[in-house]
Parts: sequence; C-alpha cells; structure tokens
Amino acid sequence: MRIFQRLLILTLIAILLTGCGDKRILEELGFTQTTSYDLLPNGKLDITLSIPQADPEAKTKRMILRTTSDSSKESRIKMAMQTHLQLVSGQLRNSIFGLSLAKAGIWNHIDTLIRDPSISPQVKVTVVNGNAGELLRKDYKQQPRTGKYIDKLLTKEAEGQTVPKVTLYQFARDYYDDGIDPVAPIIKDVGEHISIDGIGLFRDDRYITKIKPEDALIFAFQRGRFKQGELSIDLAREARSDKQIAMLSGLMSTREVKVNLGRNGHTTVRFIIHIQGSILEYIGPYNLSNDSDRKKLEHQIASYIADKSDEMVAMMQRHKVDSLGIGTHVRNSMSYKEWKSRNWKDELYPNARVLFDVTVKIKSYGKFR
Amino acid sequence: MSTIKEALSFAHVVILMYMTQTGVIVFSLPQIEAQYFGTNGWISVIICSAIVTMNLFVIGLLYRVGKGKSIFESMEQALPKWALTPLYGGLICVWSMLGLMVVKEYVLIFQMMAFPTTHPMLLTLIVDLLILYLVTKGIYNIGKAASAFYWLIIWMLLLLLFFIGDFEWSRLTTFVFQDGESLKQGFIAMMTAFLGYELCMLLFPYTNRQTKVIRAAVTGNGLLTFSYLSLSIIAFGFFSFPQLKVMLFPLLDLMAYIVFPFVERLENFFYGIFLFSIIVTAAMYLWAATETGKRYFPRMDSKFLSFGLVSLQFAVSFIPDTLNEVKSWLDILGKIELGIAFRLPLFVLTLIFLRKATRRGE
Repeated sequence: MRIFQRLLILTLIAILLTGCGDKRILEELGFTQTTSYDLLPNGKLDITLSIPQADPEAKTKRMILRTTSDSSKESRIKMAMQTHLQLVSGQLRNSIFGLSLAKAGIWNHIDTLIRDPSISPQVKVTVVNGNAGELLRKDYKQQPRTGKYIDKLLTKEAEGQTVPKVTLYQFARDYYDDGIDPVAPIIKDVGEHISIDGIGLFRDDRYITKIKPEDALIFAFQRGRFKQGELSIDLAREARSDKQIAMLSGLMSTREVKVNLGRNGHTTVRFIIHIQGSILEYIGPYNLSNDSDRKKLEHQIASYIADKSDEMVAMMQRHKVDSLGIGTHVRNSMSYKEWKSRNWKDELYPNARVLFDVTVKIKSYGKFR
Repeated sequence: MSTIKEALSFAHVVILMYMTQTGVIVFSLPQIEAQYFGTNGWISVIICSAIVTMNLFVIGLLYRVGKGKSIFESMEQALPKWALTPLYGGLICVWSMLGLMVVKEYVLIFQMMAFPTTHPMLLTLIVDLLILYLVTKGIYNIGKAASAFYWLIIWMLLLLLFFIGDFEWSRLTTFVFQDGESLKQGFIAMMTAFLGYELCMLLFPYTNRQTKVIRAAVTGNGLLTFSYLSLSIIAFGFFSFPQLKVMLFPLLDLMAYIVFPFVERLENFFYGIFLFSIIVTAAMYLWAATETGKRYFPRMDSKFLSFGLVSLQFAVSFIPDTLNEVKSWLDILGKIELGIAFRLPLFVLTLIFLRKATRRGE
C-alpha cells in the first residue's frame, strides 16, 4: 500500500506543477477601470478604456486607450494591440454610455458585460449627457483620476438618493421585468468638474427622457423606502406667499402601493408615502417651535411633494416609461390571463390614475427655537 | 459478512445525506425552477421534497422487512448471482459515472472563472485523486470527513442575508407555475437535484438501531429542503422572473454580487468552497459503485477496485468536453439514477416478499 500512496503523492506534485501554465502576473496586467461607449454617425462604436497605472515609472496616473469598432469585444482585441499590458476586466467599476448610444439602445453592450464571468454584476451603468469618451479622456485637475472620480461621485450621491444605485444587476433585472423599466444616473461635464445631471428613464433599453436633478429626491420617495437624504424645497406656490424655503435633512421614507382595478379598465394606483426628517433651514412666516405652525408646514411640504409627484408621473405616463415599477404592483393584483391579455405599457399604464398620499413628519428643527 | 465494529451515528448520516444531495446542480437550481415551472417555481422544492420523503419511507420499509441487512444480501438470497449480473453491472456503471461527471461539470464551471486554458481533465484528475483517496478510507471516514466539510460549507447560507436589501416580494408575482416550459420535465430535473438520498440503502450494514438511518436520511433531506428553499425564494425575489429564466448559473451571479467593505469579487473563493460538497457527492457514488463491485470480487482489496473504477470512468469522462455535453450526460445519468432510486427498493422488497411467500409455501 505504501507504493500506492507514494505514487499518489508523486502524481499530485506533478499535476500541481503543471498548474503554473495559466498564470497572471500583476505587473503585466492592465486593469480596466472604466469603459465608455459612444455611437458614431456611421454606426460604429467609439470605445475608450481607462486603466490606472501601477507602474512607478509611468509618467501618467492612468492609461487611456481608444478605438472604433463594431462590437465591444472586438474593440478589446484592437486595444490590446496598443499596449504592453494584458487587458483584464475583473476590476471594471463603471460603464458609461454617451447619450447618442443610450438613445439607440444599450442592451447589446450590457449583454456582453453580463455574459463575461470575469465582470462583476456590481459594475455601474451610467449615461453621459454628451460624449462619454470625451468626458472620460479629460483630466479634471482638482479631482482624482477621472474614472475613479466618476465612480466615487456616483457612490456618494447614491447614498444621498440624488441618483439611484444602478449596476449591471439592477439594469438587467428591470430590463427583463415586464412591470418596470430601467433607469440610470446621468452625468455631464461642467468645465472643471463633473456634475450629476439627473436620472435617465429608459423604455426597454432605450433612453427616453430624464428626471431633473432637483426632482431626484421626489423620484426616490416614489421608488421605495430609503434612509438618508436631503431635500430643499421652495414652498412659495403652496403657501401662496412670496418666499418660503425649507430644507429637510436626515430623511427616512417608506412607500406602500395599493392597486384598485376598476370595472371598465380604469386602474387606480395609490402611493402611500411616509416621510420623516429634520428641518435644518427654514425661511418663512412660521415659528417652528409652535406645534400648530409646524403642522401647517408639514402639510405644505406634503402637498408640495404630492403635486410634484403628480407632475412627474404624468410626464412618465406621457412618455410611456414605467420607471416606478407600477406595473409590478398592478400585475400582482391581476390574474395571469388578464395580465398577459392586456398590454400594460402601451394601453393600461398611460391611462392609469396614480394618486399620492403623502404624510410628512418633522422630527426636529435644529438647536434653535 | 464481517462483524460490525463501528456504526455510523445519527448525525453522521444526516450530514452525509445532506452533503451527498448537494451537488453541482445547486448553481442552476433557481433557473431550472423558473424555466420549467415558471413563476414561483420555488414551490416545486416543497413538492419534490415530499416525494423524496415518501421514497425514503419505502426504503424504510425495506430496512424493516430486510431486518437491516445489506440489500445485496437480500437480493442474493432470492436470486442467483448470475441473474443479478446485469443489474449489478448497471449500478456500477451509473454510480461511478454519476460521481465523476459531477466533478467534471464542477471543473468546467470553475474554468469559466479561472484557469481557462488549462486542460480540464488535469483539474478533474486532481479532484478525482482526492475522491479516490477519501473512498479508500472507508465509509466511516467518509462520514467523518463529510461532517468536517459540512461546517466549512453550511455558514454560506448566512450569506443569503446579504440579499435582503435588494429583495422584493412583489418580484415573486402572485402567479403560480405560469409561463413554465413543462411541469413533467421540471419535476424530473428538480428530482435529480435531490438525488443522493437513495444511497442510504447501502448504509444499512454500517448502521445499528441507534443510528435510526431512515430518520437520519429524512432529516438530511429536510435540511437540504431548507437550504434549497431559502436559496430559491431569495433568487426569485432578487432577480426578475424573465431574467432568472435566461441565467445559466444564478447562484454564481448571487455570489458575485456580494461586496464586503474590505473585499469584493469573492465568487471564486465561494465557488471553491463548494468543492467540499462535490467531493462528498462524488465519493459517495464511487463508494456505492465499489460496494457493488465487491459482490463480484469479495477477496479483492476494495482500494484496487475503487482505483480501477476511477481509472475507467476517468477515461470515459474524456469524451464529453463542453459544458453542454457534460450537462446532457448528467441529465441522462440523473434520469437513470431516478429510476434506480424509485425502483430498486421496490424490486428488493418484492424479492424479499416472494422469498417469504415461497418459504411459507414449502
């Protein structure tokens, strides 16, 4: 039996040594951090890669590769010919799409990214209002490396709800679901910096319209529960006065959706939204330490949010984009046959009645009466 | 037969069954449920688990009637050995192949993430050698190793908590089994995900009354049902239903989504841990094949027998070389094994009853 064991150990060693074949050496790898896609007028793709340089002898902080091609994987092969590094995509953090391409549809590229097992489902999906490649190639002097800058900016803003967190996973999930449409944050170049430019609303994989950055928080209230966030609102219209501004901070919001199917195909959807927060800035006639004044303010904020929500939903219905996922809730109140026989996005959704029931609670109003 | 010095304990059998049942199919489980059963396909786990439990009760009856004797002995008492040859031959083929095919599929999936250009058979060989080594140590040691492996793998269930943030009940829909391809095929595919429990038939001679082997197998299956159910429900609420239908390995995507503040992209590591479960599955099937082989060569050292079986099957597993081919081989083997799981205990039971009847007749 000894011989048997020895043979076993010998074969094991031999096999383990041959395992040195498929090796990856850190210094020889180019870790793609961000990829940008733009559609050229001739129908080809303009692709840029941003690769941080680890080499201390390198003169720049990052390497930029650019090419035009028909598909994104083909471009990778072309770009590999331009560099001494072996390109790998395991550290990819962000894929940014120019508006031209986003309008034409981005599913083919998302599909490529999802199919590759080395790419994380946590890679962000972002739309650039303008040319994505130009934005990625530009160096912003006061900021970190552009790829990293965009990534950190989006992560931070997503925590404050000004943009939703949209990764390959979220985009693909909502793309496939027949009761919701995908969304993606929009960024744009503002000279010395990059700025958030709202939330892009998609129908299937095509960019249709956007939510303005100042309405982003209201959109977040409609989309689901969250904690953390700040909202500044101009209550002039609600209060019918000249000037009244309130800033809510430390927001916590919950959402409930109730669906009522009418007899003649008129669907009523009721959003019940509860918001809690602290007032950190207030310019207006009320005395915040007075209970009845504070109640009035709460009502005004609530009706402001409800009014804004009405406008936003009407806009989304006009564009036939169900970015709030109302369809998933309607679907769950129907039978399977009914749901399949009706065309939700084109027929039911634009005509659905959407109501908002908003309550606001001011938890505190700072350390001043 | 040799006298029993040692016996498997209740806990060992529970874990052994759980680990044998957890195979490579777990990576695509939610996809199978979505593809064949449609919406809320996770319910099929409960149905299949109930069927398995019923099958286990039949095996329990066999244990009672056969008074805990080895099923081979029971068969050989009723029929001459030559008459059993085709059955034994078939069992050896299916069992040894099933184990090693599971290994090959595991290796091929692994190669999507790492070592893409290394020859897959090299990696298969390494795992096969590990399995061979485990099998030559005997069933008691397989049981002990399985218990150790169990603790290395079971904590991963806690990782499911990570997905609660993105989980939404509304994504599960209120429809039951709509938009699926075929319930019949679905049940066959799902039942193969539960396979492994039938091997408790072969454990009879290695247990005693205290083991309560059937109760242990039912408990092991319950444990498996729990982990399958929690995985499936999470997958159905985390991914949208049409998305789940087109994903090949939802569990891999789930694992890839996990991000810790200090490290991310851990799926290779998590996937590596599943090797422990694969080793136990394959080792148990190889052990079963060796046990059957021993009926022919009772004098031969079972180590050489296992070695022979592994070499033979290793040669066979050169033939299918793409993931799809291996999957379809496993499909066919799984179907045959399902037949064995349901019919073999009934067959042995009939033999025992027939023998009793003829004896009474005499």
